[in-house]
Amino acid sequence: MTDAGATQIGGVRFLGNRRAYWRLLVRGALLLMVTLGIYRFWLATDVRRYLWANTEIAGETLEYTGTPLELLLGFLVAVAILVPVYAGFFLAALDLGSIGQMSGLIAFLALGVLGQYAVYRARRYRLTRTIYRGLRFHQDGSAWLYALRASLWWLATFLTLGLAYPFQIASLERFKMRHTYYGDLAGRFDGAGWRLFLRGLPMWIAVVAPLAFAAGAFIEVVDWQALADAAAAGGDDVMSKIEGSNPAIGGVVVFAMLMGSTALFLAAVLYPAFQALMLRWWSSGLRFGDIEMRSTLRTRQVYGAYMRFLGYSILFCIIAAIFAVVALVAMGLLTGGDKTGVGGEIAATAILLGGYVIVALGFSTVYRATALLSLWQLGMESLQLSGLSALDQVKASGRASSAVGEGLADALNVGGY
Amino acid sequence: MTSGAGIYFDGMTSARHDVAVVLSPDALQIAGGDGRWLAAWTYDELEEMAAPANVLRLGRRGNAVLERLEIFDAEFAAAVVARAVNIDRTGTRQRRQRGSVIGWSVAATASLLLVAWFGVPALAARIAPLLPVAVDRKLGDAVDIQMRGMLDPRNSGTAFECGSADSEKAGRTALDKIVRRLEASAALPETLRTFVVRRTEANAMALPGGQVYVFRGLIDKADTADEVAGVIAHEIGHVAHRDGTKAVLQAGGLSFLFGMLLGDFVGGGAVVIAAKTVLQSSYSREAEAAADAYGAALMNRAGGNVHALATMLGKIGGATEPGMTILLDHPETKARVAAINSVAGAKSTTPFLDAKEWAALKRICAG
Ligand SMILES: [Zn+2]
Repeated sequence: MTDAGATQIGGVRFLGNRRAYWRLLVRGALLLMVTLGIYRFWLATDVRRYLWANTEIAGETLEYTGTPLELLLGFLVAVAILVPVYAGFFLAALDLGSIGQMSGLIAFLALGVLGQYAVYRARRYRLTRTIYRGLRFHQDGSAWLYALRASLWWLATFLTLGLAYPFQIASLERFKMRHTYYGDLAGRFDGAGWRLFLRGLPMWIAVVAPLAFAAGAFIEVVDWQALADAAAAGGDDVMSKIEGSNPAIGGVVVFAMLMGSTALFLAAVLYPAFQALMLRWWSSGLRFGDIEMRSTLRTRQVYGAYMRFLGYSILFCIIAAIFAVVALVAMGLLTGGDKTGVGGEIAATAILLGGYVIVALGFSTVYRATALLSLWQLGMESLQLSGLSALDQVKASGRASSAVGEGLADALNVGGY
Repeated sequence: MTSGAGIYFDGMTSARHDVAVVLSPDALQIAGGDGRWLAAWTYDELEEMAAPANVLRLGRRGNAVLERLEIFDAEFAAAVVARAVNIDRTGTRQRRQRGSVIGWSVAATASLLLVAWFGVPALAARIAPLLPVAVDRKLGDAVDIQMRGMLDPRNSGTAFECGSADSEKAGRTALDKIVRRLEASAALPETLRTFVVRRTEANAMALPGGQVYVFRGLIDKADTADEVAGVIAHEIGHVAHRDGTKAVLQAGGLSFLFGMLLGDFVGGGAVVIAAKTVLQSSYSREAEAAADAYGAALMNRAGGNVHALATMLGKIGGATEPGMTILLDHPETKARVAAINSVAGAKSTTPFLDAKEWAALKRICAG
């Protein structure tokens, strides 16, 4: 019960108890398995209720008012919308004309745009279910316009090998925040794309340079004419003919593989640093009226979060390996005999499949309980808010929106928190 | 304890009010710092909202205005909860809801599995005959392009199909003789297009729309023309049952049931793939058994030797099949051979080709 409302500057605290979060996630993972995924609506709601309620901004905690049944209903509506769409693409694929040939690409693009539409609508649902000091957040603006913008930006980012990404994020974030309100207090985003670009450029070069070396070596060494002839000639042993046409190709392939793994390794090592950079840049650009945010997030804190994940992952691997040995022995007993019935086969398949699901869900749970929770906590606790006196006279505005966007995002696999 | 301190938000502005809360017999009353009454909530409309563990956050049930009252003192919070009929801090209600989610999910999964096991093949069997033959043909053409891309190695310089070169023409004529005799007894809704293709596996397949591919490996392995005819009769069974179209409908139905409604969680993809594989294998086993029965009956009608089909299947299938029974896409060879032999007619049979024609068919891919 601090008296932050009267002061100008305030911070953010995370009050959550990690043990309670672990309990929530482990129970959720077990129920996901039992219900074959239907429990996800309840788990997502529990997770949000926990994260929101334990995030205290200037002395008051957030509140999440969404319900699992809303999410379930939104998902069912999304299924009703998507079934005719999928059926249409299915029928179009049967058509032999140019439409049929293109239908795969068209479906990919259309579902991509629809995914971005869903992302925007889902954000709207989450914002209108976020309550702070008795007022809700909300979001206006056309989701289709956002989808168009986002799709064009993704295309630009793809064509520039990721160099346009900072400008994409800045532009899309400006769009989102311009249409975001806390009560009647309008939001905006002040982050500049080129700042992120300049800071991220060294990391981009570090990852892309080895790939560029590999590509360069290919262009330099390979005799393309001979290679094309060898490929066109075909025959039983294309590989040996290619090698005959280009004696140095073996060395180049080895070099390319080396460079490729270097790039992968660097990407993995630099990922936390990139995430810290993004998070710091993004949260420092958020504004609501006179309220400004500034992040003091440190890169090594984010590395710490990932080290935690690594440590718990190793622990989980050891436990999983012990259980795997037991399960394999059980499987051997079930299928070891000469005559195994269909029942034994089904049991063995179920054990294998169950083991896989447990491992996959286990890793996802460990990741959420360590890296993701730490990132949430670090991101929030590193925030400094100024201009908080504006909080005394914000008026209520906006209404709760439907969960169809969340349902679409779920059905299209583009969900977030 | 009937009074305590709290923080109140009126839901109209974000202003924070430090308030005194009084629990009167019929309502929870909220008084501002100046002693003015700000609100009175009856106990049955109190609802607990999400909050940190040490805070009781109250709202009013079904109220569009987001009024909130926060109580930090644990003892006083307990006194409020004791009066509020709709607040359950023991978690009983949550547990009950979770239980019903599990119950209904299990029921939904069971009913989906039943639909997938019985409903999807039954529906596909009902829908496939209703579709116009043109749909089959279109589908077949699309599959044909894919199959050729996969099967045709494109390196021999000769055509993928056998029977067009001069030295192969006689073989083509022999093949046509077999197909015509079978087709005359089959009465199909669409005309067959049968090809021998340059693949060394002993196999044959039917595409939707009446296309039948016989691999040259099958002809190499056959000892009589009736063995080839028997396999073609089996493939005609697939065409007559429209199995290609059925398989597409079945795959679509399964994708919808499992891909969309179930299994959307980490690791769920594997469950969906496994369930689809097992189910599709079982559909396929049924289709193969039905095509065997059709092929045997057709051989009987055409005056061919039914045992030749069984012999050929025995050769292709080999002695034992490795792997799991639930993943086999056709019944076990022993059972197939027995089933076919059991329907063989007693009357005498006429060979499909004479020795000269049979020798020509053997050379259909010689060019
Ligand atoms: Zn078959």
